[in-house]
Amino acid sequence: MGNVINIFMAVGVMVALAIIFAFVLILCGYLFVVKKDKKIEEVERLLAGSNCGGCGKAGCAQFAESLVKGESVVTDCNPTSVANKKKIAELLGGGEVGEETVAVVFCNGGDAAINKYSYQGYGDCIACDSVSGGIKACPTGCIGKKSCVNVCPHDALIMNDEGYAHVLKDKCTSCGVCIETCPKIIIGRIPKKAPVYIACSLHCKGKEVKDLCTHGCIACNICVRNCPNQAITMDNDLPVIDYTKCSGCMVCVQKCPTKCIKVHE
Amino acid sequence: MSFMSVISILFTAVISQNIVLSRTLGICPYLGVSKKISSATGMGCAVLFVLAISSIFCWGIYNLVLVPLDITYLNTMAFILVIASLVQLIEIVIKKVSPTLHSALGVYLPLITTNCAILGGVNTTVISNSVSFLETFITCVGTGLGFLLAIVILACVRVKADNVPAPKAFKGFPLTLISAGIIALAFAGFAGVLA
Repeated sequence: MGNVINIFMAVGVMVALAIIFAFVLILCGYLFVVKKDKKIEEVERLLAGSNCGGCGKAGCAQFAESLVKGESVVTDCNPTSVANKKKIAELLGGGEVGEETVAVVFCNGGDAAINKYSYQGYGDCIACDSVSGGIKACPTGCIGKKSCVNVCPHDALIMNDEGYAHVLKDKCTSCGVCIETCPKIIIGRIPKKAPVYIACSLHCKGKEVKDLCTHGCIACNICVRNCPNQAITMDNDLPVIDYTKCSGCMVCVQKCPTKCIKVHE
Repeated sequence: MSFMSVISILFTAVISQNIVLSRTLGICPYLGVSKKISSATGMGCAVLFVLAISSIFCWGIYNLVLVPLDITYLNTMAFILVIASLVQLIEIVIKKVSPTLHSALGVYLPLITTNCAILGGVNTTVISNSVSFLETFITCVGTGLGFLLAIVILACVRVKADNVPAPKAFKGFPLTLISAGIIALAFAGFAGVLA
């Protein structure tokens, strides 16, 4: 008989404790209810939700909050699709939406770019860059030590066989984390639909470039002269493509003597 | 309670009987959340916070409910219940009262609802007889501090170890486990001091 009482006692105490705690929790749930702006929740649902931190906020929830407060603009976020951005702009009453972009590495040097010393320390590009600006003789050459590859939250960057970083267009959400990481500042954004891009960032002429890298732009103006749509202009010894005029004819890619205009794929 | 005994309790709880490195409890967050120093600090603070508060409640439940009714064998179950509801309660309250604290600890609080470091830390302290309320509380705070110390040390080591040109087989997690082992060995040197 004593055993039975013991069992009931044990069960009863646990149940009583559980019920008391449940009531306390429910009561506190009502007492300490936090009023959350419905708009913030809706905006957050429309955001990409990758929490990449490219906008400078801790995550998408914080970005949604600052959007609703008017401290940020939708264009600060790149991973979100244009369709959803339009919906957010509607919710918040207007605002620019922008077009879909992806990140791209403006360098195709890699092994073709000359090393100015032999780096034997450990670490990534940022560590290497602190030793007299990295191993590459070219001041804007990809160091190739994977800082961007490591930091990309979407695995969109790879180190290719030729020793420079390459962005995989389909995986890139244009969040901008790599752009901020690259110590050489040679990663930038171009429209997702862009057919070609200039894979060099060096503002120098012919021989100066040739001494540093065989894949660099030598500012020969061949692309500018041959473009049937006049989409390319020369700015300070480096071509600039106007993507509103570019038709994707690939003439520049074929004519470029150093092959530094690359097909965007 | 004298000042020296407080020091001795704290020293034992933080260093010589460190919850992670010597009692091997709470290994999951220890290895899981120690990749960055900032998140390791957040997790450590959350454990310290919950451990300190739950020790008060568990001591109360144990000595005012379980002991008088002679059902002390239910301690583990009762403590799980107390700690889980307490963590939920704390989360609800600080979400309202202090959004700053919530954004700092918020991510980590649900992780430690049923954490073994908390349960083990509270359980072993509260059920050992002849321990006063104050001693229980100080021991639990010390245990939490010990966790904080251990996880921050490991995070610092991991940040450094990430950049070491280790052989491929050791890169990443194996190196973490080895570092954790070496840290534990170092702490084993404190065994017997001030005992």
